[in-house]
Amino acid sequence: MDYVLLLQRIFDALFNSAIYSSLALALVIIFRATGLLNFAQGEMATFSGYIAFVFLVGPQPRLKGGGLAGLIPGVPLSVPLAVVGAVLAGMAVGAATERVLIRPLRNAPELSLVNVSIGLLLVINSLMAQWWGTGPRVFPALFPAGAGQNFNIFGARLRYSTIGVWALLFVVLVCLIFLLKRTRIGLAFRAVSINQTNSELVGIPVGRVLMYGWALAAGFGALAACISANSVLLEPNMMLRVLVYAFAAATLGGLDSPKGALVGGVIVGLSQTLIPAYVPFIGFELSVLPVLIAMTAVLLVRPAGLYGTKRVERV
Amino acid sequence: MRIRTRIKPLQGVAVFLITAWLFCLPFVSTTTELRQHTQVIITVLAVLGVNIATGYGGMISLGHGVFVGVGAFATGYFVDGMSFPWLLAIAMGIVTASVAGALVGIPALRIKGIHLALVTLCMAIVFQPLSKRFPAFTGGVSGKAIEARFEAPLWLGDSRMASAVYRYVFCILVVLVALGLTWNLVNSRAGRAMRALRDNDTAAAIYGINLVRTRVITFAISAGLAGLAGALQVVLVPYVSQDNYTVQESLVIYATAVIGGLGSIWGSVLGVIARTGFGALGERLSGMEGFGFVSEFFELLDEQAFVFGVGLIALTFVFPRGLAGIRRKNK
Repeated sequence: MDYVLLLQRIFDALFNSAIYSSLALALVIIFRATGLLNFAQGEMATFSGYIAFVFLVGPQPRLKGGGLAGLIPGVPLSVPLAVVGAVLAGMAVGAATERVLIRPLRNAPELSLVNVSIGLLLVINSLMAQWWGTGPRVFPALFPAGAGQNFNIFGARLRYSTIGVWALLFVVLVCLIFLLKRTRIGLAFRAVSINQTNSELVGIPVGRVLMYGWALAAGFGALAACISANSVLLEPNMMLRVLVYAFAAATLGGLDSPKGALVGGVIVGLSQTLIPAYVPFIGFELSVLPVLIAMTAVLLVRPAGLYGTKRVERV
Repeated sequence: MRIRTRIKPLQGVAVFLITAWLFCLPFVSTTTELRQHTQVIITVLAVLGVNIATGYGGMISLGHGVFVGVGAFATGYFVDGMSFPWLLAIAMGIVTASVAGALVGIPALRIKGIHLALVTLCMAIVFQPLSKRFPAFTGGVSGKAIEARFEAPLWLGDSRMASAVYRYVFCILVVLVALGLTWNLVNSRAGRAMRALRDNDTAAAIYGINLVRTRVITFAISAGLAGLAGALQVVLVPYVSQDNYTVQESLVIYATAVIGGLGSIWGSVLGVIARTGFGALGERLSGMEGFGFVSEFFELLDEQAFVFGVGLIALTFVFPRGLAGIRRKNK
């Protein structure tokens, strides 16, 4: 067995792992707080990706796209500023979604929430296709990813961009942990995640806290979109396949565990690269199949995943 | 138990209008238009499939486009690769889709609610790349033309119109038979078992309903209906391609079922009528220019996914029971 090649594949996989982990984190944050799997998370993320794109191209109307995108100020921003802008805009969209579409349905059956998120998926997807067209757009890399820009570890190349992406994710996670464990609003969010009724009784504004949760999740989604837009090219369906992997990652780790989302993202990223490489039948196109089967198996046998809370159902 | 079928006046008028419209269509359309209308009519079957699984069985399925695809690919394969006669090939299309549905129904025994929605959505996303991998059945990336043609018998003449009308009538008959059979099914012992399971599976099990069998059969039937829609697509256009089975298509089928009204057969028909109506409206409006932002909005109305996304959200808030349930009280 060629160990250098194996190491190389693992290094390559780690880049995708970062994308899956951050989108899975977005899904987990919302599921923990509201019990809703947000099927539109991928499309909301892609939308933020397009906003970053508009910030980047600035005043070129042909690239900028139509519709409301025309209203975005036309000054080209540098890459980091555009990403920050897109994350903030994504958070605003997330918060607005919670306020307008999700909060009124607090006591509605599960099916209504599924319907709303599916409706959102369809609407955002077709809006993007309308405004920016279905053709792929070139998006700059956030970190140097060119040839030769890598470390050499035992003969395998570890690209700077992989390290950069994980460093970025790490910094964001530290901020998230600080937010959740050391601030008042974080405490409120944790309380709401555990029990909404009781949180309300002790005076926590549950609705507003959930809105912040949605904003936070949309922020992680936006980050995932900005990371992946360079390697998979920005197009309206960009995050659909990524969403499958992210859902698999979240399920594997346990749908209500942030730690699980991270670990699940790494596992899914590795298996997406390694399984097709060593099982010839599967090949690149079917690489999603083992992941899907694994997800179904986890839901069947151990719905709590690796780190999730076991759900006790009352008959 | 006998179910008395009462037709309310409003329904009577609607049925009359639909019948009159269906009857007049062949006389006023060209062959292409007639084919397009027929393609819309057969989507009733796929929508009905979602309705059986989700509305009657209580299992959310976001991936019925997959079964439509399986039905189409299988029919194409049997009629062309195996040179089966058309009727047999269509039947095999249904059977293949049902088997696929039963395979999904097995995990659905334990995976419920939103988690099942997740699995079926992922299935819908994965179907396209997957079907590219098996070009023998699907024609790979570019699709595959089917050599066999579903032609009118000779006594009807061999003009293109005769064939188009023949296919039109055939598809309508199939849809009507399917609607009738489904109506009987959901009002039979098996249908009551399905609904009991949807409302409370523990209670249903205590009453002696076989959970495993009912769930798997429900899913198989619902997938079979979707597969039939796929088979009829091949009858109308002898060409199969993975391009037609995108996630958006699956979701629009689901949205049509929800908008029409889950748990009501009439609802599935209504959903498709709404889809046709909005489609025609969007087509008219999208041509208009010179209204600035408004005409851009008109362009969007031509986009089925957009209209149905908005419809899905709006109806969830206003009429949670869909168009068929407007007159009934909520809850």
